[in-house]
Amino acid sequence: MKIVACYSNKGGVGKTATSVNLAYAIAQSGQRVLLCDLDPQGASSFYFRVKPSKKLTDERFFKDVERFTKAIRGSDFDNLDILPANMSFRDFDIFLSRMKNSRSRLKKALKAVDGDYDVVLLDCPPNISTLSENVFRSADRIVVPVIPTTLSERTFEQLLAFFDEHKLNRKKLLPFFSMVERRKSLHTQTMEQLRNRHKKLFQESVIPYATDIEKMGVKRAPVLSYAGTRAAGRAYDDFWREITGKLQKKV
Amino acid sequence: MFLVRGPLDRQMFGKPGGKLVPVWHEDDSEERYVLLDCFDQSIRRSGAILIEAAGQLTLIGRDGHTVMQPAARTGNFVGDLEPGLVRRALGMVPELRSLMEIGTGKLLQSRLALIDGEQKTHARARFLTLRPEDPQGVSSVSEKVEITLASVLGLRGYDKAYRALTKKLGATDADGSVAEALYGGPVAYVAKPDIKMTGDEPAFQAASDIISAYVTVARQNEPGIIADYDTEFLHDYRVALRKVRSVLSLFKGVYGEAETEMLKADFSELMAPTGRMRDLDVYLLDRDHYFEMLPDTLHGGLTMMFDLLSKERQAGLRAFSRRLRSAGYNRKMLALAARFADRNSLDPGANAMLHAADYASALIWKRYRKVCKIAAGIDDRTEDEEVHELRIHCKKLRYLMEFFAPLFPSGEIRVLIKPLKRLQDNLGLFNDYSVQQISLQAFLGDHPTSGGKDNLAIAQSIGALTAALHQRQLDERAKVVSNFTQFDSPEVRKKFRSLFHNKGK
Repeated sequence: MKIVACYSNKGGVGKTATSVNLAYAIAQSGQRVLLCDLDPQGASSFYFRVKPSKKLTDERFFKDVERFTKAIRGSDFDNLDILPANMSFRDFDIFLSRMKNSRSRLKKALKAVDGDYDVVLLDCPPNISTLSENVFRSADRIVVPVIPTTLSERTFEQLLAFFDEHKLNRKKLLPFFSMVERRKSLHTQTMEQLRNRHKKLFQESVIPYATDIEKMGVKRAPVLSYAGTRAAGRAYDDFWREITGKLQKKV
Repeated sequence: MFLVRGPLDRQMFGKPGGKLVPVWHEDDSEERYVLLDCFDQSIRRSGAILIEAAGQLTLIGRDGHTVMQPAARTGNFVGDLEPGLVRRALGMVPELRSLMEIGTGKLLQSRLALIDGEQKTHARARFLTLRPEDPQGVSSVSEKVEITLASVLGLRGYDKAYRALTKKLGATDADGSVAEALYGGPVAYVAKPDIKMTGDEPAFQAASDIISAYVTVARQNEPGIIADYDTEFLHDYRVALRKVRSVLSLFKGVYGEAETEMLKADFSELMAPTGRMRDLDVYLLDRDHYFEMLPDTLHGGLTMMFDLLSKERQAGLRAFSRRLRSAGYNRKMLALAARFADRNSLDPGANAMLHAADYASALIWKRYRKVCKIAAGIDDRTEDEEVHELRIHCKKLRYLMEFFAPLFPSGEIRVLIKPLKRLQDNLGLFNDYSVQQISLQAFLGDHPTSGGKDNLAIAQSIGALTAALHQRQLDERAKVVSNFTQFDSPEVRKKFRSLFHNKGK
C-alpha cells in the first residue's frame, strides 16, 4: 500500500481537483484507492456526493480503528472509497504508520472489505502545520500542484526551504504544473524557468486550465467520468500514468 | 444471488431504505438468447443453465454463480468450445453429447441504484431476466416461466441500504436451482428410466413394464438420429431395443413360446440396420486413435479408408433416416408400443404369473452361476470362443441385475455391479478388437488390391492396423483372469448368495 499526499501551501491551485481526479484515474486503472478528505475547505468528498460524517469531529477517532473504518464510504465508482472526515488531526502520523504496518489492527480493518487499498490518497489542507509535517514524513510521495505564476513559484520555493529546514526528503516531492494556460506567455516562461532551475523535478504532465474542470462543482463528479476523452480528463490520466511507476521506487 | 420466479415487481423497490429513491439504469439491454443443453439435459440435471446470447456463452450454476466466454466454436460438442471458463465448468456434459437448442427467449439486463437527496448511490442491484419464448427443438421447456437473477452490490459504509435491498429480494427468493426454476417439469429424456416395481407383481407385468419403457426410450431417440446431432442417439436407440430383446430372451416363459419368437423377430428386425451404422460410428469416433496406432508412412491409406467409411456412414444414415420417417416403421412401432401398454393382446406364457421378485432372484442366481462356471474354466490357453461366451453371459447378468435393481437395496446392487462392470469393460475391449480385425478384413475384401494404387495403400494400412489390433486383443485377453478373480471375491459371492439365493428365509 502506497500513501500519496496531495499538498500545496497555497490555496486555489487545483489541489482538490487533483485529489478527486487522481483518485478516479487510479481506480480506473484497476487499483483500489481510499481518498482521505483532510482539507476542510477543499471538500473532495463533496465532489463524490458523500456527506461529511458528523460523528467524527474529534481527534480521538484516529486512535479508534473501528470508528475510522466505519466512517469510510464507497463512492459511486468501482475501487474508490472516501474518508469524508474533514478536520485537522494531531496524531495523524501515528495513524498513517499504523496503516502501513501489516500487523496493525488498522491495516487489518482496512482489509476487511474486498482486500487492501493499493493507494491511500490524502487531500491535505493548504498550510504548513504539524499535520502537514506528519504527512510529509509518512507519505511515500507528495504531489504538489503549482500554477506557473510568480506567486506560486515563491510558495513552491518556500516549501522546498521547509523540507530542507526540517530534514525532510525532497525526493518525495512530485510537483507538476496545474491550471496552465498555454496562451499566457507568463505561464510558459515560468514553466521553462522552473524546469531549468529544478532539473527533473517537475512532472512532464501538465494539467490545463479548463472549463471541464470548473464544471466539477456543478456535475459533482470527477472530470474523467464525464469528459474523459477531452484534454482535461486525459491530462489527469496521463499524470497518473507518469507517477505510478515512480511510486514503486524507494527514495 | 437471488432467484425470482415470474415477473419482477419493480414497485417493491419504492422506498426500501427510507428516503432513498430507486433509479433504473437507462441503457437496459434486451437480447435474444438460446438455451443450450445436450439431449439428456446433463447441464440442467446439475442444476445449471447454459445460454448463448450476444456472442457469449453464459453458464449460470445452481447457486447463481455465473461464468462467461465467447460463443465461437468449431462444433457443438464441449470439446469444440474455445478454452475458457464455461468449457472448464461443463464437465457434466458427456464427451460424446452435442449441445442443442433446447429453447429460446429474451434476455433482459437491468440495473438499479438507490440514491439519496445528493444523488449519491447507497446500494446497487443487477438483474438478469430470462423470458422463455415458445419452446422449440427436440426437447421442450415445459413451462414458460420467466426468471430473474438478482445480485445486490453494497457500497462501503452504506450497510443500511444494502440490508434493506437484500431483505426485499430475500423475501421473493425462490427455492431450488436456477435450472429447476427455468425448466419446470421433469427431465424429458432418461436413457435408463426408473421403472416402478414392488416385487409382488407378476413376472408378466414386470417384463411388460420394462419393455414398454424401453420402446419409449427408443422412440425418443428417433428425431436425434435423423437430425444427426451426435452418435449417442443411435447408441441409446440400440441399447433400448437390445434391452427389450434381452427381456424377451432372458425372461423365459413369461410370454407364450410363439409370441416370444415373433416379438424377438420383430425387435431383431428393428435393430438389424443399426449394427453396421454403430460400427461405423465407433470407427469414426476412434479415428485419431487409429492414426496413433500406425506410423506416418501408413496414414495415407488410413485417410482413404476413413473417407470411404465416412461416405458409407452418410449413405447409411440417409437410408436409415428414411426408414425412421416411413409410415410403415411408424405403424409398426405404434403397434408394438400399444401392445406392451395395454397387454390384452399379449399371450402370457407358463411363468407369466410368477412372483416377480422370486422370479428375478432365480434368473440372476442362475446366470451368476453360469458366469462363474465359464470363468473358472478360462486360462491362458482357452479358445477365444469361450471368452466371447463369458462376455455374453456377463452382459446378460448385468441386464438382469439392472432390470430388477428396484427390487433390491440400491447400495448392494451397486457394490456388485462395480467389479462386474470392470470385467465387462475388459471383455468389451477384447471383443471390439476382435470384431474390428474381422471387419477390416471384410473391408479389404470389398476393396481388392487389384483395384489400383489407392486400394493398395489402404490394404497396407489395414494390414498394419490388424496387427496392432491383434496385439491389443492379446493384452486385453491377458487381463481377463485377474479381473474375474476380483469379481469372484468371497464378499461378492456372499452378497450374491444372500441377495438372490436366500432360500432359507
